[in-house]
Amino acid sequence: MKKIVFCFAFIAALGCCNAVFASSALDAFKGQEGVVKVAGGTAHIPVIKEAAKRIARFNPKVIVTVAGGGSGVGIRQVGEGLVDIGDAGRSATEEEISRYNLVQVKWAVDGVGVVVSPENSVKSLSTEQLQQIFAGTISNWKELGGEDHAIDLYDRDSASGTRAVFVKKALKKGAVNGGANVVVSNGAMKTAIAGDPYGIGYVSVGHIDSTVTPVALDGVVPTIPSVQDGSYPVARGLYSLTRGEPAGLSALLLNYLLSPEGQKIVEEKGFIGVK
Amino acid sequence: MKRFAELLLVIFSWLALLVFAASFLSIFVVLLLRVRGLDAVSLFFGDTPPVDALLHGLPVFDGIYPALLGTVSVVMVAVLCAVLPGIFTGIYLAEFAGPWAHRIVNLLVDVLAGLPSIVVGLAGFSFMVLLHNLFPGAPGPCMAWSALALGFLVLPYLVRTTETALQAIPAELRRTAPTLGATKVQNIFFVLLPFRAKDLLGGVILATGRAAEDTAVIMLTGVVASAPGMHSLFKQFEALPFYIYYMSSQYRDLAELQYGFGASVTLLLLCGLFFAAAFLLQSYVSFRFRGSSWLQK
Amino acid sequence: MTRLIRAAAMVTGICTIAVFFMMLILGWPLFSHGHLLALLVGGWNPGSGQFGILPMIAGSTAIAGGALLVGTPLSLGVAFVTAVFARGRIRRVLLSCVRLMSGVPTVVYGFVALIYLVPFIRSQFHSGSGFSILTSSLVLGLLISPTMIVLFVSALDGVDPRARRAAAALGATPAQRLLYLQLSEALPGLLSGVVMGLGRAMGDTFISLMLAGNSINMPGGVLESARTLTAHIALVMAVDFHSLEFQSIYLCGFVLYLFTFMLVLILRAVNHRFQRGRVQ
Repeated sequence: MKKIVFCFAFIAALGCCNAVFASSALDAFKGQEGVVKVAGGTAHIPVIKEAAKRIARFNPKVIVTVAGGGSGVGIRQVGEGLVDIGDAGRSATEEEISRYNLVQVKWAVDGVGVVVSPENSVKSLSTEQLQQIFAGTISNWKELGGEDHAIDLYDRDSASGTRAVFVKKALKKGAVNGGANVVVSNGAMKTAIAGDPYGIGYVSVGHIDSTVTPVALDGVVPTIPSVQDGSYPVARGLYSLTRGEPAGLSALLLNYLLSPEGQKIVEEKGFIGVK
Repeated sequence: MKRFAELLLVIFSWLALLVFAASFLSIFVVLLLRVRGLDAVSLFFGDTPPVDALLHGLPVFDGIYPALLGTVSVVMVAVLCAVLPGIFTGIYLAEFAGPWAHRIVNLLVDVLAGLPSIVVGLAGFSFMVLLHNLFPGAPGPCMAWSALALGFLVLPYLVRTTETALQAIPAELRRTAPTLGATKVQNIFFVLLPFRAKDLLGGVILATGRAAEDTAVIMLTGVVASAPGMHSLFKQFEALPFYIYYMSSQYRDLAELQYGFGASVTLLLLCGLFFAAAFLLQSYVSFRFRGSSWLQK
Repeated sequence: MTRLIRAAAMVTGICTIAVFFMMLILGWPLFSHGHLLALLVGGWNPGSGQFGILPMIAGSTAIAGGALLVGTPLSLGVAFVTAVFARGRIRRVLLSCVRLMSGVPTVVYGFVALIYLVPFIRSQFHSGSGFSILTSSLVLGLLISPTMIVLFVSALDGVDPRARRAAAALGATPAQRLLYLQLSEALPGLLSGVVMGLGRAMGDTFISLMLAGNSINMPGGVLESARTLTAHIALVMAVDFHSLEFQSIYLCGFVLYLFTFMLVLILRAVNHRFQRGRVQ
């Protein structure tokens, strides 16, 4: 019995320690209580989840719920008032901002990179080749100096901000073949390409890890440094939107993302901070 | 030649059984192999001490406890919402409906039973948005909406079990109470339904199992990827089937993939438990094939 | 109390009808925008204002049809064993197992198939990414089997026991009894089992969403990627609520609703004949 009591005391003490030694960036959440509903861009999820975790460890009464869906969902749901913060991997359009009276905050810089399986020998493409691949006019890896096998195209759904940026800046508004497989998130794109030795797709640069190989576009490999110094052109911001000026817990969450600690999370998760 | 056809039929049948059994066995074996070595405590609670999560409601990250809790609660609320309308509609069909009313309601219940769950989810979502536009204070996506839509989805299971149970009651029993002066309603609620209580309970549990399994409805009405430490009817929630769907494409490393397998086994056990209980409770009569019923899922 | 009972039945019925009108009214801006026919037979290219759902109708049909091609023989075989060839205890055990199998959640099938079957299919054929009509049909066929087996067994068991005993007394082997007596007698019951299997296969969302690849082209072969009506709803849910593109999912819902209604009517017709044709 004593042992159990001791255990309880120990766990409780541990909890207190956590709270005491937590950084000052979280102090704003002290005494707060409530829920922040976040939905939208799937590139944002790892950062928001980590922030949610740290906030809840500091003050368990503040809960951040995270849903995906894509940038389109983020903008629409925050506009309709269904969630508190909508995430978007593209800047909201003038029309969207004025229709819903949205305010957008940019808290990270990201790129969109073409990825293939590490088994694939094709590691570099020109913009023209990329356009032809996605249009379906180049349909075999052989034509690009790879293995004699059909190219498996992977595309995102039309609500995706990543897709909007990719089509605009990498494909220069070129067409995407309707025969492409469609996946619903950056994470899903990464696992699909990692598993398919003949697949090609595009993903948030922050999501690129050892399971997939980034493909150089016109000689520039999409990496965090190349996006940061501007040499890789397919860059975009990660935004969070609120209806009207952010207030209450939403404002605290956005401030936290922009604080030095929040920006550190952004960098740990593979993105570029804005400060 | 005829002999040959007969032999072929026998061989074909046993072969089919072999393929069928092998397919399911391989699913189960794969699941078991993949969860081997997975620590149950970290699967459910991640790095949160279980005691704190259970007793003090400390939010759990990277564990399936919130998803399990979400599934269990949403399903319970859903069945609670559906149980009265379901049983009452069943009573109506079995005891009250005239020939035309019976035909129409019966047809509608069949249609509802056959509707794809994503259509039910879409209807629930649209209703939610309409209401939200009319009354800006109305709740957005949350557990209550999911529970209502799920309840609607499993309504036919309750209707059919009640109806079948009542119809299977022998005529002598049916007439006893009314001859002693009981009204029709009294007869139903104090004699007929208690006589079939086991079947009704079986139907309720079957509906529970069906609700626990559904992903499409909750995906459209309130489930989210991460809602740790949440437990309210008017908040968003996590759920096991959605967690599995999410993990199937979002896993970042093999450890997370293994969590997906762990969640699969958990959901499988949960649903298996509900289904087994339902079958044990329901007597054979009510489970016989009924002409118009879709519900032998 | 009587009033409450009537009210409950009314609510159930009205809600079911309401779903239909919800699809119709909310999709109306789209229906009135283009010709309904163009929407039903046209292609999908929201960028250029084409909201046709024909590729999805084709995808749904192909995948559900494939699932039936896989599931029907499999279920028939298992049902034959259960209803005719196996006896006593084995029969009971088989039937309980099959019923329990019907409780396996859809996402679990999808999850396991995504990790194992998709790479397998990809490695077996020279073209295709493994996300294909074939993959989802195989899994869906397995998924609808337990339902179909239970229905088939009931249909075979429903054949008049006196006729069965007579056949046995005349020296018919179980296979002969099945082939020449039960199969033809139970045909309507078997047929309604297939129709219900079709309904479940058409209505499923997650198997095709996870395994079929979701491409928006007309499917051209079993190894190609395709999108079903149900998966289309799940995918297009993400776009702007007020756009015509979004409203096209109500068209999908509408089509699925009508399809369900049609299947129920077919079932009615089949069962009507079933009951009339049975030996009283």
